[in-house]
Amino acid sequence: MEFSHDRSGDTLVVNASGRVDGSNASDFLESLQGLFDPGDQQIILDLGGLEYISSAGLRVLLMAAQNLDKQNKSFSICSLTESVGDVFRISGFDQIISVFPSVEAAKQG
Amino acid sequence: MHRSLHLSHPPEQGHPSDVLPLIEDMLNEMAEAESWPVTLTMRANLILEELVLNTLTHGDTSGLTEIDLELESENHALTIRLADDGSPFNPLTDAPEPDVNLPLAERPIGGLGVYLVKTMGEELEYRREDGRNLLKLVVHPES
Repeated sequence: MEFSHDRSGDTLVVNASGRVDGSNASDFLESLQGLFDPGDQQIILDLGGLEYISSAGLRVLLMAAQNLDKQNKSFSICSLTESVGDVFRISGFDQIISVFPSVEAAKQG
Repeated sequence: MHRSLHLSHPPEQGHPSDVLPLIEDMLNEMAEAESWPVTLTMRANLILEELVLNTLTHGDTSGLTEIDLELESENHALTIRLADDGSPFNPLTDAPEPDVNLPLAERPIGGLGVYLVKTMGEELEYRREDGRNLLKLVVHPES
């Protein structure tokens, strides 16, 4: 999977694309945590380029969401593809993590 | 369309997750040939990843020597048959049911894999026969 990020003020937008499965989920967590800066107040994960996620990847998202929640930081996910959105719905993740259609919508909360 | 995959254990080299590209390639070939909706490819891939990695890495794997996958697709419905000679494990009854309605802070990490298999799969049947776990399920693009 590939990452890029863009920080403006205290908002961090992370783009993750490709596939996250049992082979690379721990790299995904490490990469994600490595990008967070203590000054970031709003973290938006743009998954518009994510083709595949299994439960190993969902675990990483849950850990990140719980950690950021404990620090009273805003965490949201946006631009889900149809197939990843299907997994979010079935797992109930769309009920516990804020999901937005676009980065712009996520920024406005 | 019919495809099958035979996996031996322990793998000759490498990590259990090395089987994932084999599963992905097989599904992508079927998906392309039959123009599967993306949700069918995704669900089938997720289910196979969970079940195969579960068999390869959870519980007592000392007696496990092989896993056989049989896939049969028709009209965008995919029937999956898995057989393995590992220790008895019935995913329909032997895995704890996670509460997917818990709020964020209380959601346990993990326990989702088998839940997703049971939610995305239909007509699930398990039996133990001749020292093998036999699991059958059907996957549709929508539930």
